This record gives sequence, structure tokens and C-alpha cells, in this order.
Amino acid sequence: MKAGALVFGFVLVFLAESLPLGPLYAQLHPDFIALFILYWALSSSQPLSYFVIWLIGLVQDLIFGRVPGSDAISLVLMLALLYAWIARVRRLPPWEQLFFIFFLLLAQSLGSWLWQAWAGPIVWHNALLLSAALGAALWPLFTFVLDRLQHHWPRRKG
Amino acid sequence: MSGLPFTRPFPSLLRLLVLAALSVGVSLYSVEHPNLRQVGLSAAEPLLWLNGQLRDAWQATSQYLQSQTTLRQENAALRQRVHVLEMENLALPVLRTENQQLLALLDSFPTAPGRVAVAQIEAQNLRNGSQQITINLGTAEGVYVGQPALAPGGVIGQVVTVSPNNARISLLSDLSSAIPAKPLGGNDPCLVEGRGNLHGLSVPFQPHATPLVPGTELVTSGLGGRFPPGLPLGVVKSVEHASNGPFAQVLVRPSANLAALNTILLLWPQTRNAAHS
Repeated sequence: MKAGALVFGFVLVFLAESLPLGPLYAQLHPDFIALFILYWALSSSQPLSYFVIWLIGLVQDLIFGRVPGSDAISLVLMLALLYAWIARVRRLPPWEQLFFIFFLLLAQSLGSWLWQAWAGPIVWHNALLLSAALGAALWPLFTFVLDRLQHHWPRRKG
Repeated sequence: MSGLPFTRPFPSLLRLLVLAALSVGVSLYSVEHPNLRQVGLSAAEPLLWLNGQLRDAWQATSQYLQSQTTLRQENAALRQRVHVLEMENLALPVLRTENQQLLALLDSFPTAPGRVAVAQIEAQNLRNGSQQITINLGTAEGVYVGQPALAPGGVIGQVVTVSPNNARISLLSDLSSAIPAKPLGGNDPCLVEGRGNLHGLSVPFQPHATPLVPGTELVTSGLGGRFPPGLPLGVVKSVEHASNGPFAQVLVRPSANLAALNTILLLWPQTRNAAHS
């Protein structure tokens, strides 16, 4: 993935993650950062660094006021699960990939939820399931938009 | 990116274990050093600024796109509301005088709730029982940790983290929120706790013979000195008595609509001494 498109994409998903569009959006929106990391991992020819993903998760935790380390470790676990099936997932068309995406997003949400349960009081909310389902449903559109963004992103000269 | 540390030199499982240990370390460090969260909020400032710009643009666009019919209907409804409020205002001077007389009888002094400032929501985090919002005021405007936050209807929560230009408010419904309360017109102290749900709070440790009944209004008691007494918190929705439990389960509906927050009021409570001087 081109570096410029990668930075631009991260700015966009961090923005989308925190937009103040009311409680319904705040509870049900897909985890755009996790979706973007999945896209990055699938479109990249080399494996991503777990440590870099862990750092991105830590930044996410600090920016959004969550228990530090919860998103960091759950994003790393999600990536590890993806790498266990990556050859199979890459061969599938985007609309078939969405089942794997649902599973991976749910695993990430559960990982973060369990981490926060360890750190303090927490409640189970079905929004976790719905958010993962919405993320999976949006996956074909998400990949389409990011493919176009990558395609039209200006190449570095020289 | 693949050249960064922890990509190849160690087997996957070992790398995962090291990162899990690092996460535990960071979590434990953040408990001992709350400043870490303040650093996070400061780092988020550019993002929150962008969010504010997007929110303003969205509001401006949606206002511009409103149809003439909608605006006329809204105008008619507002005129009607003004008439109702004018009628209600007629009784206000009488009530004010009565209130001052009653407070004098109780050896109390009427104090204004204090100075307020209007804030806008920049970001929301309403997942996993964590019910927090980020606003566009910070230490530059004198915001401090523990400061009461209000909205139309009553108390909505308190400031938990503050950076120069932003502050994070833990809503009443946050699982870590607990505010000293009492029934309106009564003196039985209680706590109003969050349950991770925007529409419901709870009052823990109430005996089966609790004086709280559905419809009882709860206000801040002023204990602890963080919230001025008498600010509306919520109304008791239900009181359930489980046969095997030692306590009654008291559910409370928040006075302010936490699910439709738009403008937030931050309160600098006026101390009694300051009010006298």
C-alpha cells in the first residue's frame, strides 16, 4: 500500500471512529480502524509488523480514553488470526470474504471487551455483535473505495 | 513497514506473548499514572479539532437543506412554546419569594449554582459500558478534573480527564460513575450509579423498606463537595424486591436525556463563602 494513501486512510478511519453523530452511531458503527488494518494486511505483499499494529492500537486506546492496551492486544490477535487463514481469504472474492471479516471483527471486539472486563466493571452489549456484522456488511464497499483510493493516489516521483 | 522490530526474528507465539505482557504493563502503568490518559487526550487534539469542523459543517448543511414547510412548522411550535413559558413565568416571582423564605427558615442561604460555560461535543465513546464524551473546552478555559457537567434537565456527569483544549466527561451512565444523591425534599442519602446504559441508572444498597418509590425525584446531595446540592439527577423508574436478595433493585431514569446530548454546560460551583461576599 502506498505510504501517502496509508497515512490518509488512517486519518480518515480515526476521524470516522470518533465522529460525534449521536449514541446510535457511537454504539453501532463498525470498528473502522480494525477494518482498515485488515485491508492493509490483505493488500500488502509482506506481513505487517505485530509491533506496529500494537502501537496503532495503543494510540487508539489513548485517543479514545479506553483501557490502555485493550485495543492494542486485540488488534494484534485479530491480525494473528487473519495470518492463520490469509492464503485462503485472499483467494475469495470480497463478498465471500465478509464471513471471515465478521469473525475477525467479532474476535477483535471480544478481545477488547475481555481486556476491559479484566481492568474494571463492564457490561455485555449486543451492539458488539451488530457492529461486527455492520463492519462485515460494509467490507465490499470499504475495499472498493480503498482500491480506488490506492489506484488514484499519485505515485512518488523518481 | 516489514523492517520494523518484531516482524521476523521471533516466532509468532513468542511475539504475541511479549506484546500481551507489554499490554498488561501499560494497563497497570496507567492505573498508577493517570497522566497517561491526559497525554492521550492532548495527542487527540488535532483529530478532535477536525471532528469539530466536520460537525459544524454537517449542522450548517442540514440547516440549509431544511425545507420551508419544516421551518414554518418549527416556528409555529416555538411560538406556542413561548406562550406556555410566558404563562409559567408569571408564577416565578411568587415562587422565588416563597423559596427564599423557606431557605431562611431552614437556616440556609440561596446560592446561585455558579458560573457556567457552554461546550460542544467533539467525540463520543459509548462502548463496553464506557460512556464518555469529549468536549471542546480544557484547562485553558479553567476546566478541572471533577467539574460538574450539566445539560437541559439536570446533571449529566463530571470531567475525568482534561488537556489544554479538551476535556473528557464521564456520563452518569458510565460504569465507573457514582454520585451522592438524596430524594427531593428528603434527607436520606444514597448513591446514583451508572450501569453502562444511557437510559437507566441504579441506586445500590437500598433496603427493602426503602423510602424510594417510582416517581421519586433524586437530586445531588452535595456530599463530598463536588456537586452543589439540589441539581436534578433522575426520577425513580421502578423498585423491584427480589425475594432472595438483601437489597431492593432501584432503577432511575436520568433527568437529562443522555442519548440526545448536543450542548453541554460546565459548572464552576459557587462556594457558600463566595456567595456571601
